[in-house]
Amino acid sequence: MGRGIQTQPCSQFLVPLQFPLMSSLFNLLGPRKAFDGGLFLPDHKSVTSRRAVELLRVDGPLHVPLTVRQDLKTEPNVRVGDRVLKGERLSNSTSHESIATHAPTSGKIVELSRAWTTQDGYLPCAVLEPDGREEALPQHQGWEDESLIVQLAEHGVMCSEPRAPLHSVIKEAVAAGVTDLIVNAMETEPYLTADLRMLVEEHGRIIDVTCELADALGVSRAILALPFRHRRVVKRMEAEAHGRYVEIAAMANPYPQCQPLVLVKALLDCEIAPGGRVLDKGVIVLPLAAVVQAAEALLDDRPITHTVMTVAGDAVERAGTYRVAIGTPMRHLAERVGLVGRVAKAVCGGPLTGLAMGHEEAVVTATTKALLLFSETEPSIPVPCIHCGWCVEDCPVGIDPPSLMQLESKPNCTNLEMSHLKACLDCGLCSYVCPAQLPLGETIHRTRTRFEQQREPACLT
Amino acid sequence: MFDIAMTRGRWIVEERSLTGAAPHRKGGSTHVHIVRTWILVASLVGLWGVVLFGVAALKILVMSVLCAVIADMGMQIVTRRPGTGRLPRAVLTGLLFGLTLPATAPLHVAIVGSLIAIIIGQGVFGGFLHSALVGRVVVQAFFVNSLSLSGALVTSPILAPGYLLVGNLDHAEPVADYQGWLTPQPSTTAEGYKIERPVQTLRRFTQDRVPPDDGNFYEPLVRDELPPWKDTIFGLVPGGIGETCTLMLIIAGVFLIHRGYLRWQLPVTVLASAALAASIMPVNLGADYHWFPVLEVEQGRAVGLAYVFFHLTAGQLMLGAFLLAGDVVASPMRAHGQLVFGAGIGVLTIFMRLYGTLEGECYWAILIMNALVGTINRRMKRPVLGLAG
Repeated sequence: MGRGIQTQPCSQFLVPLQFPLMSSLFNLLGPRKAFDGGLFLPDHKSVTSRRAVELLRVDGPLHVPLTVRQDLKTEPNVRVGDRVLKGERLSNSTSHESIATHAPTSGKIVELSRAWTTQDGYLPCAVLEPDGREEALPQHQGWEDESLIVQLAEHGVMCSEPRAPLHSVIKEAVAAGVTDLIVNAMETEPYLTADLRMLVEEHGRIIDVTCELADALGVSRAILALPFRHRRVVKRMEAEAHGRYVEIAAMANPYPQCQPLVLVKALLDCEIAPGGRVLDKGVIVLPLAAVVQAAEALLDDRPITHTVMTVAGDAVERAGTYRVAIGTPMRHLAERVGLVGRVAKAVCGGPLTGLAMGHEEAVVTATTKALLLFSETEPSIPVPCIHCGWCVEDCPVGIDPPSLMQLESKPNCTNLEMSHLKACLDCGLCSYVCPAQLPLGETIHRTRTRFEQQREPACLT
Repeated sequence: MFDIAMTRGRWIVEERSLTGAAPHRKGGSTHVHIVRTWILVASLVGLWGVVLFGVAALKILVMSVLCAVIADMGMQIVTRRPGTGRLPRAVLTGLLFGLTLPATAPLHVAIVGSLIAIIIGQGVFGGFLHSALVGRVVVQAFFVNSLSLSGALVTSPILAPGYLLVGNLDHAEPVADYQGWLTPQPSTTAEGYKIERPVQTLRRFTQDRVPPDDGNFYEPLVRDELPPWKDTIFGLVPGGIGETCTLMLIIAGVFLIHRGYLRWQLPVTVLASAALAASIMPVNLGADYHWFPVLEVEQGRAVGLAYVFFHLTAGQLMLGAFLLAGDVVASPMRAHGQLVFGAGIGVLTIFMRLYGTLEGECYWAILIMNALVGTINRRMKRPVLGLAG
């Protein structure tokens, strides 16, 4: 198959530095929209993007999950009654894929039980009662000469998309022979500001670690994709990346530009077949959060015990971006940040792709991007499709959601329809814009799952 | 150290709000908002029509809206299928139907037309043909004489300057030498003028083989027969209640485009293709056909351009382009499809106006293109990402 990607000039997306006139013209006009469809959403970031990331300490016990994904096996390293220091191992990985977890603060293990996470349901957890002394483990010296892969695994760095430990993502990418690395800092979903704050506050480290990861991956290009509209951030990153081999791509940010498939289409003009991954074309797309966590692990030699997340929504009093200990119950987090009135909707993640919290006792995990609390639910009363075509115009991949929705009641579907179903990115834009308030995205997702299970019964076992 | 006090709010999450599929926020424009905005702009156009044509126009609009609402309620009872948001849609259908009628039409025309629009247009065709236009073309066939639009040299009334809103169209008098609405006319007792509709003039011009005047064809037409261009801009010519005022229709359309409920491609293509068709299509002058009428220059005046301009503003086409063609249900889903759809409407309108005998040519053109919407949608699908090769 080959690479499918040539090193084409992407000058319409990358800021052309060599011609000052063109550059200023580019600054004036902005980049052109790089894919069909998409929508500029009201982003609700004005408040949270201006507040610096704050460390949020929560009183009360932490329910630290002992594993990061349900299928990654670990064994607990602590027993009930142990006193642990900050950064101490709570669990050891038992397989190559798995990663260890660490204590976010010093304290006593009071119980080994289970904690609800929105993405995995119940996971085994250690309930840690903090003593408030924040005693840290003495800096470990043994990993200095270890490889990057081992360091990432030992420090428990997690990647949110694909949702796997970063070291296994990198190993897989190296095995697949990637040629391009894209660091995805687009964050086009409303309310989310964690990536933006990280770009502002840790610009130097991001470039350093991107170079290191690019070395480890052996890629020929490393691209950092930034939203064009934050021009000062773009300028800063350009200055930072000057002379390094990280390219800065300032891009327009209509909504699903943060999706890896759309990003690859826009940056490298390479289309991925429905159901495929970006890895098939020799590209790896890493979210910025994973890169920042890798910076903490590689540069500071610290285990990952905190995650940077946005707490926002109209039911939140002091919306902002916070550094929160993994294992903090969402409830305590919300009460600490402050609530206004009644919470009618609690969402983990962005408002368009995030998951409803599912359980009142949900806890923060390493891949939690945001906690959004809304004071109204926006009930929808669907009416029959009015053929306005908004979903068709805005769909980032060009499928026809209303016609795919009719497959819901069908017993089977053709191969073409199946490939259209698989092409869907689950970005939720069709449901967002639908004036008839039809649950388009949800239905497509459900129908696809049903047909996939029908076609491959082996998957069920 | 960072510190926030505990605040007023409490963590009260109800069970049912803990679930639910993404997206958790919605765009906020529902079908109700769309229809409401259309009703708003249609009533603005109607309001101007009432000012121009007097209380008779108001009666027709109110009667058609009322009948549409009653018919829709009846349909809901008969079909036992009550739906949300049906009432505003019926109001919009009735209003748009009323806008296409001339103010001189008798009230029973409005009643019958609204009923047909709702029962046949919405009930039978399910909204895939523009319901209001279905009603319009049917009453056109039923009540040819009362609508008094066909036939040679039929004059229609327009209120005189002092009688706007309150004048009676029945007291209008034919004017021998019409110099435009603003020019004082010799007869002072009449509450209005009776002149030919500009569309009728254009049709007569192209179909009756106008004898040349000093070797000029277009110049006498523009100078003597057609009203001044300002009149067609402000709607001071006879015609349907909402058909005549170009300025008001453009404002309405721009507002809809601004709100995102109408794609700019549609009216632009309708008008552009109509202008192109009128510029090219041959007209029957003197002894033979003349192609490219837009290029005509007579006595140093670009009369060809004026001729094309009158085709656009003389009535129906503006209403069709801005308020009727862009009906959400009955127009293609994609902007690309709407380009084809709009081009079809423009060309067909001019074609039927020049060579056909049907009245309401723009309405027929829209209905014909509505019937093709399914085909256009099928042909103009978007390429799916990753499936192009």
